[in-house]
Amino acid sequence: MTLPEIAIPTIDTPDLILRGYRESDFGAVAAFGGSERARFVGGPHDRWTCWRAFLAGVGHWALRGYGMWIVEHRASGQVAGRVGMILNDGWVEPELAWHIYDGFEGRGLAYQAAQAARCYAARHQGLDRVISYINAENTRSIRLAHRLGAQFESDGELLGQPCQIYRHPAIGDAA
Amino acid sequence: MIQIPEIKTRRLILRGPEPEDYPDFKATFSSYRSRFMGGPLNKYEAWMLYAAEIGHWDIRGYGMWMIHHKDDDRTLGMAGGWSPAGWPEREIAWIIWPGEAGQGFALEATHAARRHLYEAFAWEGAVSYIDPKNLDSIRLAERLGAVKDTQAATIDGNDAVYRHPSPERLKSGQLADGIEMEISQYSNPIFSPKGMPVD
Repeated sequence: MTLPEIAIPTIDTPDLILRGYRESDFGAVAAFGGSERARFVGGPHDRWTCWRAFLAGVGHWALRGYGMWIVEHRASGQVAGRVGMILNDGWVEPELAWHIYDGFEGRGLAYQAAQAARCYAARHQGLDRVISYINAENTRSIRLAHRLGAQFESDGELLGQPCQIYRHPAIGDAA
Repeated sequence: MIQIPEIKTRRLILRGPEPEDYPDFKATFSSYRSRFMGGPLNKYEAWMLYAAEIGHWDIRGYGMWMIHHKDDDRTLGMAGGWSPAGWPEREIAWIIWPGEAGQGFALEATHAARRHLYEAFAWEGAVSYIDPKNLDSIRLAERLGAVKDTQAATIDGNDAVYRHPSPERLKSGQLADGIEMEISQYSNPIFSPKGMPVD
């Protein structure tokens, strides 16, 4: 018996492929989740929590009809991060989120991934003028939010922790 | 959405976890009932675990079914295959919502799920990792014919390993007949068990 994959669309950008999940991606996801780099997304996490998050990344698409993609770096074939829309239990509205893995920062890849995901969400998932929850100390993410045209909207809270809410501009049909 | 096979038994329908089943899952995993499954969980953790239940089907090709009652389609719990990264062996797992315990649903569902994993998914065996204090689950494992395997690798040293009978042993004979007989008694309206709650 074969199980068709959850239909996660593939998006091509100049340097990246946003795509669905493969078991072989787990190593990269766990390496990020277990590292200090995950401190702004509730980590570092133990391996079980990373595994749960990895599977949940797939399941979110089934539950919501949208979710986070695996970001593959086209030239190297490596997993460069994850990007996409999240609406977990406890989120007030759908959030555009980006995780960029070690070695893929500083090349504009996060910008490219986030822009592609945001554009897809606005065009195909009915999610426009979305928010991003960002930890106030996560200066790199805040810089990226600004570069994406998002603006600080308010202080908020996520899972009992204070955070900042950034609002992205309307993409709509113009994207 | 992935196509998860549906399994029908005397009283139950096993289907893939669906979005509308999440509140029932969350209620049990937010409760003390889930203490042997890593709970109780907060709403974020419950959500992540539920999404992971679905993702497991996609990544592994098998997973945990949602157990529904044939009469009214209400959910009763979950049963099926479970295999997180790094676990020594593939597991057969189950949980029944606290309000539905004591009616043999776990036995009926897990027996059917195990048969499906063996026959349709060609599993050659399986274990269940059970907290030694989880007496209800240990009893169910034994009613399913699983035997404690003290030599097998555990997940983290805090769990007992129960090894399920092989597909061959379940095909016929005393063990298989005994399980069928117990399930048929639970299903018989004149034999409605009262008293000690067992799954």
